[in-house]
Amino acid sequence: MAQVYNWQLGREMDYRFEEAHPERQFAAVFNINRCIACQTCTMSCKSTWTFSRGQEFMWWNNVETKPYGGYPHHWDVKLLQLLEEANPGGQAWNSSQLGDRQPYGVYNGKTIFEAAADKGNEHALGYLPSDEEWTAPNIYEDTAMGAVGVPNESHLEATQLPEHKTWFFYLQRICNHCTYPGCIAACPRNAIYKRPEDGIVLIDQQRCRGYRKCVEQCPYKKPMYRPTTRVSEKCVACYPRVEGSDPLTGGLPMETRCVSTCIGKIRLQGLVRVEDGEWAEDRNNPLYFLTRVERVALPLYPQFGTEPNIYYIPPRWVPRPYLRQMFGPGVDEAIDRYTNPSRELLAVLQLFRASQTIIFRYAIEEGEKLEGTELFNDTAIGFDKNDNEVVRLSVREPFYERPQQFQNSI
Amino acid sequence: MRTSRRWTVLGITLLALMVAVGLTVSDMRLASSQTVTLVAKRSEAQVPADDPFDTVWSRANPVEVPLSAQTVVPPKAGGDRTITARALHDDERLYVLMEWEDDSEDSLVSSQTEFSDAAAVQFPVTPGETIPAFCMGDPNAPVNIWQWKAAWQTDIDEGFVDVEDTYPNASVDLYPFEDEDVFYPARALGNVFAQTERETPIDNLLAGSFGTLTQTSDQIVNGAGEWRDGHWRVLFAREMSVDGDYSQFAEGDSTNVAFAAWDGASDERDGMKSVSQFLTLEVSPDVAEGSGGVTVWIIVAVVLGAVALTLVLALYGRQRQRG
Ligand code: HEM
Ligand code: SF4
Ligand code: SF4
Ligand code: SF4
Repeated sequence: MAQVYNWQLGREMDYRFEEAHPERQFAAVFNINRCIACQTCTMSCKSTWTFSRGQEFMWWNNVETKPYGGYPHHWDVKLLQLLEEANPGGQAWNSSQLGDRQPYGVYNGKTIFEAAADKGNEHALGYLPSDEEWTAPNIYEDTAMGAVGVPNESHLEATQLPEHKTWFFYLQRICNHCTYPGCIAACPRNAIYKRPEDGIVLIDQQRCRGYRKCVEQCPYKKPMYRPTTRVSEKCVACYPRVEGSDPLTGGLPMETRCVSTCIGKIRLQGLVRVEDGEWAEDRNNPLYFLTRVERVALPLYPQFGTEPNIYYIPPRWVPRPYLRQMFGPGVDEAIDRYTNPSRELLAVLQLFRASQTIIFRYAIEEGEKLEGTELFNDTAIGFDKNDNEVVRLSVREPFYERPQQFQNSI
Repeated sequence: MRTSRRWTVLGITLLALMVAVGLTVSDMRLASSQTVTLVAKRSEAQVPADDPFDTVWSRANPVEVPLSAQTVVPPKAGGDRTITARALHDDERLYVLMEWEDDSEDSLVSSQTEFSDAAAVQFPVTPGETIPAFCMGDPNAPVNIWQWKAAWQTDIDEGFVDVEDTYPNASVDLYPFEDEDVFYPARALGNVFAQTERETPIDNLLAGSFGTLTQTSDQIVNGAGEWRDGHWRVLFAREMSVDGDYSQFAEGDSTNVAFAAWDGASDERDGMKSVSQFLTLEVSPDVAEGSGGVTVWIIVAVVLGAVALTLVLALYGRQRQRG
């Protein structure tokens, strides 16, 4: 086994292959606080990629209600349990020393790769979900957390921040196009690859022999087995859009379907530059700014060890221990910064879902202080790959009054 | 004391010798080492490629081949198992028959967690001085693998198993572009796994070390497998000489053969299997007469005779020592 550096864990870890990094990495930030669970993202992926025979149960994008929901059922609880059994009580972080290469401290527990290395029979820890677990993809929709340890009881008293006693939130999930994918480590015939140009992870449909090792060893359960072709398929990151080869894009990298259709404007997706195996400093790339500079967006279950590339702004109202388990020790800082945003952060947050074209760089034009608030009406400007302006938005949304003669028109 | 031991040793040697003679007479061999040979004799009777239980197989001499777990590279699995191998040829085609015990017939791959029973034979592409690693060959000494899967046998015997066969209510009212292969990417790319109209339950493959297994576009191996009363019999049949960089066979030649078996019920697939080492495969000009029931009796008689003789010799030795 090779040793690779995982910045999300702040340390080296075991992996089946030597480090090899793409030129750019597909990445996204999902702001959980804003999601309304309309499932428009889910349907846009389904109507683009998975509407054929054998894909009935496939939802490459899904939105599940936490803490009870999950697709496949309880995927994360099961993974956490497997890790706990492999290393009882050891899944802990040391966040006393933070740094650029270890923004969340150091993870002292075991990753899915390390937990499997002890036995040596497999490249990663995992399990194969049953058919039943893939049914009812939105099970426990809107089901709130009850009183702990008391069946059928919930907290009925009024609730307020920082932590709600009665709570749930929506978790939006696609393939994480991980830096150290569990699926790639698992495949014994190297039928899965990570593209050097954008880090998108794809299953070669010609080489796959339906072994389902990827289904078993992707901790996020994003590859799925298709019984009509007897091979596995997964989220393709809408690569024709991301590479700008879809005729619709006019040759410019464009956000994926599930991102560009998001009603709640919770999603921002793009490509980050990679140099010497690490994210190159690129302060004005909105993804870099949100995850590395402001650190408001965090990886999902970083302790699994795959270095996932979808980053989440954690929900403000959820009990912190639950969030720390899900997003690591960066949670408290992320929520603080999101709750009291800097001028720049507030402006950059306007760029979510502002344009279909991928924003490679932003600039800020400072505006007036907004009367009666501590806020400034700054303007965020987004630029495409060729550095042409594609979008311009101010913190205060423009206000339009409908003229009298159009009062009743739609 | 010393004389007694000498007599016993003599007896045991005699016993071993007679068992060996018995096994040779019956052509029954234990393939515990690479020196063991599977002989494909010439069959004058027709060998039907679609019936592994045809009576012609009583004329082929069985060889017991021990398989063990694949423990070289992850994913590792499998276990100790024994298969019985037989082989025949008819100048045109080579036939290899595998037989092993399996309590459950696992012949579907339509749900997320179902895996198919399977079996494979492996030959060096070029027989000769460098015998490839039995683990799927080497980069400079490739192997030709023929793999049979129970799921493909089901597709052939009963028609392609589709979503509705597993879950009658799973299908949706409307599948746009239903007939366009591009929405079945594996099918559009010619992956044999995605074929809906299969002609053979056996895949013809090449490999040059593990992880390099490659399907070929030449689906030239025929055969059939059938599960009866707790055991599988699988028959592989191929023209002895074919176009392409595949193993070639000819009367009078020797090559190597290895076996592998997968148990679907134990989630076995890929490297998770039981494998044998290489044994010798001889394509013999001799006509297959079959060992029949008679040879078994010859062995029994020889063994019993040897045991009796040993006892007599041992007793005689002891008496001499006393006297
Ligand atoms: C200990 C020795 C062996 C090792 C380490 C080994 C390893 C592997 C691995 C890692 C795979 C999955 C990767 C791939 O598809 O290329 C595989 C698949 C396969 N191997 Fe082997 N192998 C061994 C011996 C054999 C033997 C003796 C045979 C045939 C007689 C064989 C036939 C196959 C076949 C047919 C597959 C495809 C399996 C499927 O479709 O489920 N292997 N092997
Ligand atoms: S479209 Fe956006 S708001 Fe709607 S469910 Fe998806 S992520 Fe949430
Ligand atoms: S989320 Fe799963 S399928 Fe996607 S790259 Fe990571 S390990 Fe592979
Ligand atoms: S990126 Fe594209 S393929 Fe992946 S979940 Fe979103 S819409 Fe589906």
